[in-house]
Amino acid sequence: MAAERLKPLIPDKTHPFDARQAAHLLRRAGFGASPTEIAAAVDKGLEETVEDLFDAAEDEQREFQRTFDAINGRLVNAGDPSVAQSWWLYRMLTTRVPLREKLTLFWHGHFATSVNKVGDTQLMLKQIDTLREHAWGNFRDLVLAMARDPAMLVWLDGESSSKEHPNENFARELMELFTCGIGNYSEQDVLEAARAFTGWHRQGEQFVFNPEAHDFGAKRLFGRRGKFDGGDVIDLLMAQQATPQFIAAKLLRFFVEPNPSEAVVAAAAELFDQTQLNLKLFLKDLFGSEYFFSEECYRARIASPVEYVVGLSRTLGVRQPASEIANQISTMGQALLMPPNVKGWDGEQHWINSTSLAARLTYARSVPELNSGDNKFNPHCPVEQFVPPDLTSPDAIVEVLADLLFQGDLAAETRRELVAFLITNEEGPRPDAFRDDEGFRTLKTRQLLGVMLSLPEYQAY
Amino acid sequence: MSITHCQFPTRRQFLGYAGLSFVSVGALAPRMFAQVAAESAAADRNDHTLVAIELTGGNDGLNTLIPFENALYYANRRTLGIPKENVHRLSDQVGLHPAMEPLAELFKQGKLAVVQGVGYPEPDRSHFRSMEIWHTASTDKRPPTTGWLGRVVDSLTSAKNEDAIPGLAFTGALPQAFQAAKAVIPVVGELETFAGAENTDQPGIAIRRKLSTASSQAGGPVAFLRNQSAVVYRTVDRLKEAQAKYKSTIEYPGSSLGSQLKRAAQILAGDLGVRVLYASQDGYDTHSGQEGQHAAILGDLSQSIEAFDRDMAGLGLADKVTLLVFSEFGRRVDENASAGTDHGAASCVLVAGAKVKGGVYGEYPSLEKLGEGDLIYTTDFRSVYATLLDQWLGCPSGKILGSEFAGIGLL
Repeated sequence: MAAERLKPLIPDKTHPFDARQAAHLLRRAGFGASPTEIAAAVDKGLEETVEDLFDAAEDEQREFQRTFDAINGRLVNAGDPSVAQSWWLYRMLTTRVPLREKLTLFWHGHFATSVNKVGDTQLMLKQIDTLREHAWGNFRDLVLAMARDPAMLVWLDGESSSKEHPNENFARELMELFTCGIGNYSEQDVLEAARAFTGWHRQGEQFVFNPEAHDFGAKRLFGRRGKFDGGDVIDLLMAQQATPQFIAAKLLRFFVEPNPSEAVVAAAAELFDQTQLNLKLFLKDLFGSEYFFSEECYRARIASPVEYVVGLSRTLGVRQPASEIANQISTMGQALLMPPNVKGWDGEQHWINSTSLAARLTYARSVPELNSGDNKFNPHCPVEQFVPPDLTSPDAIVEVLADLLFQGDLAAETRRELVAFLITNEEGPRPDAFRDDEGFRTLKTRQLLGVMLSLPEYQAY
Repeated sequence: MSITHCQFPTRRQFLGYAGLSFVSVGALAPRMFAQVAAESAAADRNDHTLVAIELTGGNDGLNTLIPFENALYYANRRTLGIPKENVHRLSDQVGLHPAMEPLAELFKQGKLAVVQGVGYPEPDRSHFRSMEIWHTASTDKRPPTTGWLGRVVDSLTSAKNEDAIPGLAFTGALPQAFQAAKAVIPVVGELETFAGAENTDQPGIAIRRKLSTASSQAGGPVAFLRNQSAVVYRTVDRLKEAQAKYKSTIEYPGSSLGSQLKRAAQILAGDLGVRVLYASQDGYDTHSGQEGQHAAILGDLSQSIEAFDRDMAGLGLADKVTLLVFSEFGRRVDENASAGTDHGAASCVLVAGAKVKGGVYGEYPSLEKLGEGDLIYTTDFRSVYATLLDQWLGCPSGKILGSEFAGIGLL
């Protein structure tokens, strides 16, 4: 019954893969898309679009690395955390494989490590690179890579854990947050796992195994006894039934809907288990499923700050420095490389409080005000690309923007309000002046876009 | 690592937020809510304010309130033990950390109560689970979706004072303690940026307000966002009034906590009817290199409270404000190999204010008889909550906490 829901969607006349569904897929598996990208996806069809999400794009990966090496230390200092944030955002804003960055962001929230304790952005960027490398690989390899990751060894104190007094920090979070979840291990398991990871240290930015600090004795975990080391503990955790369940549920909450039913979670866990924790195989099936495209999942989430800002920027083709965007996103409550704690960002309605929402409203208003005029180097929001100067009908302008941002899903009453706003200046409604005065039209159209970007309907993701 | 809050979104909670039918809020909340609503008239007559300060990450109670005559303390804290001569003595047995001089001074003035050995049965060493227990005031495996202070705010909210802001948080996100069944509690960052966000003279503000707050058939995230937007606009207006009224020259520490307590003072000076404020200070998860880190944050805590206390006195509000300082757990008695301490159990709680009966309360946990290496609690944290609810806020504790807990005579 539940597995039924994850069966592949075969688009037909009643369930077409149209602009609305393509936009949904490109939002969830990326950061939102331009009308051109959406049209291209519709042309390709669902199957090929999903296939292309996982493009290895090695040329692009190499190109990013070359750019980073060229500018770091010469144009920018990536030792500065705000520059490191900007660099990652630049990749999100410009990559042709947004899913890889989206997954990297997901794993950053999962293995949530903060530069505030790690102190070294080089280690942080190295960790992000590792997350990116394993983004849609095998989950076990990812966990092992994180257990050996230098930033993680600082963050959860593995670097100073030794057999005399094992430090429990990493062992506990490995179970509670990274693999099987609370309630699926005992305090004894935590203590024994802490012993198994002793001596997993680092030297600078490299992992080292320090045999003198390692406890080679026998440990008892999950009802098994043996001279386990950290890798064995990870294998034992991968074999726990709770692990695919915990991870699949979290992936569903991030990519599909905030409160998936127990039946869907069970089906997803089974699927993830069948793939032997292969994330690419799992996600391909998920993104191509009837469930993913069902109405209850459509715009059912609340955009995270990164999704909101990078999404509108990619949709509109905004030209704005990533450093500015990084600041905005931090004000909205998602400072990259600085998650609030090891549990990461709680997400969904926790993104929204009066302060973070005020920041979103302020940003929404500011983006369409970016108008470079004659100086093409200045930040710019290319409203004119969507609303040509000779488009004078207020209804048509609202429709164009409603298609651009909502694929048409905007209530008639709301559209009427927007039209009324569009043609009104300080003196009241002026339909004739709106038609005849291009300056008036341009100003009001940009303001209109600001209003539409701030709508609750647009933040539903 | 470091922690701020834990919240566990559930469908029930979401529906409650979205302001949908009351029936969908679940079985527990409506009953509790009906009871507290009946009492709200009594609570309305009281204008006392509670400022809760969460020490996030698990504060090492042993090195906060130091049992300097106990040899076992020094045996376990081989490198981290605070020498007897450096302790600010509160009694012939216990004293405060050397960095806490301003709080030792408050103690001398009779304005600081220290409750020893506070915790709960079957302690959990997970930050997030233990935080959930403290925030919901419940040790049930399936705790209520509302927090104890959220229930207080719900009880203080009635149809006739819809514009009031009974509760307000300065934390990065809404703390679970403030999850309410019906109230939407604002979280306020820097007042200046917040109040500047949606000025009435900005183009499109009228339509933005109208379309972002409209009630309609919409459900799910859209309805939730509309409720939240309505609170943003309402709070912006009220905070502008408060900011204009605050005239004070007291200097607060430049830290996050200092800034939060200054905001608390601004809001209290504005007389907005705020009854519960929530601040937090991060950095207590001292698994490694504890000594310097712990001294720095305890110093910041003490100086921030001291500045707030002076500010309240200057504003003539001292008699109306009480502070509660708590953490989700204490730390392991035996230190670890990283010059730090791992997650533990019982710790101390501080209550401060002009109306507080200063002193040392409760019993210091034994360092001999431990529970899996941790201090065993001697006072249930809900006894502290009950005292504040009954003796300070005028909200019957049995209704808010779901059962009766004996109070402590500190108010």
